[in-house]
Amino acid sequence: MSRKRGFALAETQLASFDRSTTARCHVQRPDRYRLLEALPADARRITRGSGVSFVGASFAHDSVVQEMGAFDRLLEFDSAQGWLTVEAGARIGDVTRFALSRGWMLPVVPGHPRASIGGCIAADVHGKNPARDGTFRQHVESIELFDPQAGWMQLGPNEDPDRFAACFAGFGIPGLMVRARLRLVPAAQAYSLRSIAVANLIEAADVLRSHANAPLLYGWHDGRAGRFGRGVIRFGLEAKDGATGKHRTHPDLPESIAPWPITAWNRIGISIMNRWIRHRQFAAQQVPTAAALFPLNEARGYFAGFGKHGMNEAQWLLPHASYAEFVSALEAEVRRLRPRISLIASKLFEGQPTGFSFDGSGIALAIQMPQPRQREQAAFIESLTELAILHGGRPNLIKDSSLEAAVLPRCFADFDNARHALRRFDPAHVQESAMTRRLGL
Amino acid sequence: MTTVVVGASSGLGRALAEELARAGHELLLVASDPRDLCAIAADLGLRHSAKVHTLAMDLASTADPGARLLAALAELPALSALLLPVGQSRVDDDGSLGAAATGQLLAINLHAPIAIVQALLPALLEARGVVVGFGSVAAVRGRSRNMVYAAAKKGLQGFFESLRHRHSQQGLRVQFHRLGFMRSNLTHGMRLPLPLAEPAQVASQVVANLEKTSFDRHAPRWWAIPAFIIAHLPWFVFRRMDA
Repeated sequence: MSRKRGFALAETQLASFDRSTTARCHVQRPDRYRLLEALPADARRITRGSGVSFVGASFAHDSVVQEMGAFDRLLEFDSAQGWLTVEAGARIGDVTRFALSRGWMLPVVPGHPRASIGGCIAADVHGKNPARDGTFRQHVESIELFDPQAGWMQLGPNEDPDRFAACFAGFGIPGLMVRARLRLVPAAQAYSLRSIAVANLIEAADVLRSHANAPLLYGWHDGRAGRFGRGVIRFGLEAKDGATGKHRTHPDLPESIAPWPITAWNRIGISIMNRWIRHRQFAAQQVPTAAALFPLNEARGYFAGFGKHGMNEAQWLLPHASYAEFVSALEAEVRRLRPRISLIASKLFEGQPTGFSFDGSGIALAIQMPQPRQREQAAFIESLTELAILHGGRPNLIKDSSLEAAVLPRCFADFDNARHALRRFDPAHVQESAMTRRLGL
Repeated sequence: MTTVVVGASSGLGRALAEELARAGHELLLVASDPRDLCAIAADLGLRHSAKVHTLAMDLASTADPGARLLAALAELPALSALLLPVGQSRVDDDGSLGAAATGQLLAINLHAPIAIVQALLPALLEARGVVVGFGSVAAVRGRSRNMVYAAAKKGLQGFFESLRHRHSQQGLRVQFHRLGFMRSNLTHGMRLPLPLAEPAQVASQVVANLEKTSFDRHAPRWWAIPAFIIAHLPWFVFRRMDA
């Protein structure tokens, strides 16, 4: 493609947040609407928001990467009803700060404050308590999208509803999302955060279920054999008086975190970190809403500590009925294979699974591991995948770089229908990322 | 008072609009695509509570852009500042351009800025305002690429010098920034021998200087050194350079 056509491409090395996938890509950085339309209709492409997905969802070596960073504007705000229209490249942290300053907030925000609104839709992200607030799709009223063949289109529950629905956990396949209208809720001034110690993941599930209505609800757990599942459940309730006391404000987590030269999360490092988490998280705190929504802002060192070999996060949603059995089997595997698990996070879900969305009814466990390509680590990841599938688990495709196309039909009973529901909007496979290609979507 | 930014939809123009809105200026933004203008105006209104007006105008095809701007300004508070961060370059600007493409480059980079300044000059003189032009280091010496673009920018530099010469005693401040490499769609994907400046950083300096007197300087300032060296290279060295 020539630069004469009205757009410029830069050859750039891009990497997924978990560092598992890298590719040399042709990157377009449109900053005007006509440049969104400038690529030839048949040019393979994929949209990139901030590029903070764990997996390679926003690039591929032979797709033009359309970076939406310049499309980050706030377009319309209804301060009476709480509607906010934004461009898809707007970052969730910026949107949250704007909304909070007007007394509103988005109830569902992912951990990384630089995730774009388009990315939140494309991955149908969940927030701090999906059992209460659902996933991102519950808070989007309409989307404006550009299809290279069909042009501009307005999507909503009453306008091309199938394509609208396909945008959520559609991973960019239904087209280039450019604008979205969001439904906000009245904001809490601050949250009162409490912690409950749990001895294992079974106890954690009980605590999660008994606090299902808390606005913030998640657990952090030790993944080591002998201490497997020990940790804390954090729950946050709206504080009536705003934040009290001093609370250090952290800058937004950067899009790309330079890895430390060595992997800090060896057995000693993991041991120290788990002790620190248990010690620190027991303190009850009253924290400003923005800080409570983005706890990852404090985790820069944690992610850098995975080193240049990166990490893997396997996140599975286990039905309530098989959860206990799964946890028991997983603990046995941990004892047998002794993998290095840096952290396990738990969350409660009570939604309806649709397509490839990470939703349903059960307990989600996110298991983070350093050096996923090392033989022992890879063996555990493979074993974990098999166990999760055996127990009816549903994977989070936007998190887990270890998943391959062959396992997806075993994870999603209606895999072929779900794939067809996405690809019918892009039968020529114009929209492709490293992730959609790896998973055969 | 109204501040006009021509070429406000991207790069330095957009950064200037943001910086001016933050500083409380009432703005008239000019660009070719109304979709871009509406988005910028809405955003500046929401984030900075700025009063922002827009005028969609294609400088390459508008015969008298100054008259269009004057008409748009008729309904607004008096003009106090005119900023012209407008420019377009082409990778095939190597001496092979046809007449239409050459005319388009000259219209956007030279004719339109001059026509707009001349149309708005009476209002700027009356307000003892400021007019800000933007050149390019491409105009330091003629090279085998960006031929028409560099010629147009050199012409614009000359026009601003004339403007300063004629009006500096009359209270009009004439500021001209010769821009070095800057991160924008013009430079995206190019391998450049010197670092890129960020538009927001340059915009901040431009706005901070608005109340100052007339000048003609490089932005960022350190570009004066490489520009001086390039300008004084002997021809037998310069002709071998591929920069």
